[in-house]
Amino acid sequence: MTDTAPRSGPHKVLLAFYALFTLAAGARAAVQLATDAGAAPVAYTLSAVAAVTYALGWYAIREASVGHTGFASVMLWVELGGVLTVGTLSLVQRHWFPDASVWSDYGIGYGFVPAVLPVAGLLWLRSQRRARGI
Amino acid sequence: MPGTLTLISVIVIGYAVLVTLLAVVVALRRGERPSWLDSMVWMLEVLLVVRALAGLGTVFGDDPPSSVSTHVGYLVSSVCVLPIAMKSVEGDRAVWSSAVIAVAALAVTVIAVRVQMTVS
Repeated sequence: MTDTAPRSGPHKVLLAFYALFTLAAGARAAVQLATDAGAAPVAYTLSAVAAVTYALGWYAIREASVGHTGFASVMLWVELGGVLTVGTLSLVQRHWFPDASVWSDYGIGYGFVPAVLPVAGLLWLRSQRRARGI
Repeated sequence: MPGTLTLISVIVIGYAVLVTLLAVVVALRRGERPSWLDSMVWMLEVLLVVRALAGLGTVFGDDPPSSVSTHVGYLVSSVCVLPIAMKSVEGDRAVWSSAVIAVAALAVTVIAVRVQMTVS
């Protein structure tokens, strides 16, 4: 293991996506909760949870890129579980979601990127572990 | 003014799509990130700042967007994304840095479209 961050690699693209989704989900939740929190409290709170998850995911991938893969292996599964759970609930319990959250319908409002992102992260993490012999 | 604003938006969206496509092509060719791509990114940033200033003008005008907070949020986001992306690949001209530019340019394309949707 090494603590030296690789200068370049696919993790840079993942970090860019996670930063963007932290911004997008955070701004969305902040506006929704600040202006009309009562309209869809479950959906808006879940958007805020998604924003926090993406911020932690960004940190986890940054740590994994220098060899500390433990946190990322937990966070990415938590994120995938969140997308699948919220996505499924938004389909079977529609009355809980009068307005969409970031993970509604598995992230359809964001081109399904929220569903693809943790899978891409887990694949990268596996290659990272193999490369480092972890 | 709405006509001018729409024209600026169309130019921004078209140019952002061009930057996205060129960044993808550069990344797929697996070469170093060329300096002309950086220049195009900063040119796009200038256009986004112009669009944001024009958009802020509508907020205080006679016909403000239906959701001012959403509109302003998109405008602020649109000018922040590219500088942050460029900072993250500072000193890194490898192939993955072009992919980061592609992601950022795609994001500002989507934001620019959504900004326009909030005033339409």
